[in-house]
Amino acid sequence: MWVTKNLGLLAPGACKTITASDVADIVPEDALPLLSLTRTRPVETSDVLPRMDSAQTSVPAWRATLGLSSPETQTSYQGELDAFPPQGSLLTFGPFVQFGEGVRNYLILLNIENSATSRRAVLEIYDAAEGYFRERFAFKNNACTAISLDNLGFNSGDLPMFLSQGMAAIPLYFSSSGDGAHLSLEHTHPPASLVVHGRRWEAQKLLKTRWFAKVSI
Amino acid sequence: MIGEKIARFGRAVWTWRQPLTLTPGDLHSTISDLFVWRSSEVWQTFFELIDIPSLFEDGQGSGQVTLMFFDRSGNHIREEKLHLPANCRKTLNISSLVGRTHGESGTFAIFHSAAPPSVIKLGSFLAERGYVSYCYRNAPLRSYVHGNLDVISRGRDGGLQLLGGTSFLSREFSLQYEFHPGIAYELVVLNPTPLKQRFTFKFISVLSGKVRSIQAMILNPGVIQWVPVAIEESGSVRLIIESRLVMARPLVFRIQNLKLDVFHG
Repeated sequence: MWVTKNLGLLAPGACKTITASDVADIVPEDALPLLSLTRTRPVETSDVLPRMDSAQTSVPAWRATLGLSSPETQTSYQGELDAFPPQGSLLTFGPFVQFGEGVRNYLILLNIENSATSRRAVLEIYDAAEGYFRERFAFKNNACTAISLDNLGFNSGDLPMFLSQGMAAIPLYFSSSGDGAHLSLEHTHPPASLVVHGRRWEAQKLLKTRWFAKVSI
Repeated sequence: MIGEKIARFGRAVWTWRQPLTLTPGDLHSTISDLFVWRSSEVWQTFFELIDIPSLFEDGQGSGQVTLMFFDRSGNHIREEKLHLPANCRKTLNISSLVGRTHGESGTFAIFHSAAPPSVIKLGSFLAERGYVSYCYRNAPLRSYVHGNLDVISRGRDGGLQLLGGTSFLSREFSLQYEFHPGIAYELVVLNPTPLKQRFTFKFISVLSGKVRSIQAMILNPGVIQWVPVAIEESGSVRLIIESRLVMARPLVFRIQNLKLDVFHG
């Protein structure tokens, strides 16, 4: 079930930073908190993700600066999250794995769907060069799933490829130095962003068809 | 009915013939962002290069890319051609490639040799909007940020075209970020259009909503401008960038305790 809590009113032009500790009391431990602006108060509980009544723009999509922090630093990216269709899929190439003593790397998969019904899908990780399978993980809808990329045998010249035929997600890459004093966070583009103009979504379909077929041989 | 027409007209004022990215004249052009490089005693810049054509089709293209480097005034300073293996990652040390004789910052573009036929058939152009990382003071970790705009095209004849779209009216881009006292920020803004553009940076007090400071600049095509931001102890500020760009998204470098965070607007 989706549960909505009102965090207050924001005047036009006003700005507010919300941290995890600000909402710790109202977010259960296993829940994914989502922030949104709306002009009318949504229902408090719902089986489908409430639609926000906002003056949304399309370019750029209405978004926020999001980040993770440690006691010494923080790392940010610009993000927005629209509900994915349940028949969605994921294909992305992630050249973000960093190397060095104590460095840790994670893939963070972020998914929301309109339905609050919980389900799982499988993420497969390959080395794109030869289509070598590396590992398989389960991940959930309406959740944020962190997967360690450190013990999968990737070297600095390898291009990790992440795919799921059962669920779409935003792929974020988080790296941290051993002491947490240095952080990095960014997402990779969806395949449609490898081209511009024309029938971009067909280009995305073309790429997914090609790579899904390649790994299923 | 009339209300709907008024609403449509209201939207058209901001959208009609005002694309974010112009379409290159040459259908076989490839497109790149203009990424920001930094090269100095304390800054190093890297780029994650992938042979994009080979992701679309086996045996496509030669895997050749052309890197073009520009100084902060938009002058072409260097060109490099590289060959790439298919479906691999090559981390380029951009600071080493650009050297230390062209200032401490500028821009670079990466053009793949040719779009695969399957992409051309869709009326699309191959775009490099990939992943830059910065290393500050030899930190053990680089900080990544992706390209966010399709800025420049290169035709088959090697001709370059800036593709940033402009608006009929001046627009405001509100950076969704709060600048805090005691932290050093450096913003960089690029003019991606083929015309001279005026930018006005308005820093607004989060507490009072009043304009704290204004900085205006006129930038030639392809030129970048650095805007250092240091906030007084009296409270945090937010930023509005006024210009005729469809999207005047800055790149933000945040340095606290000598630790780097970089992200785009």
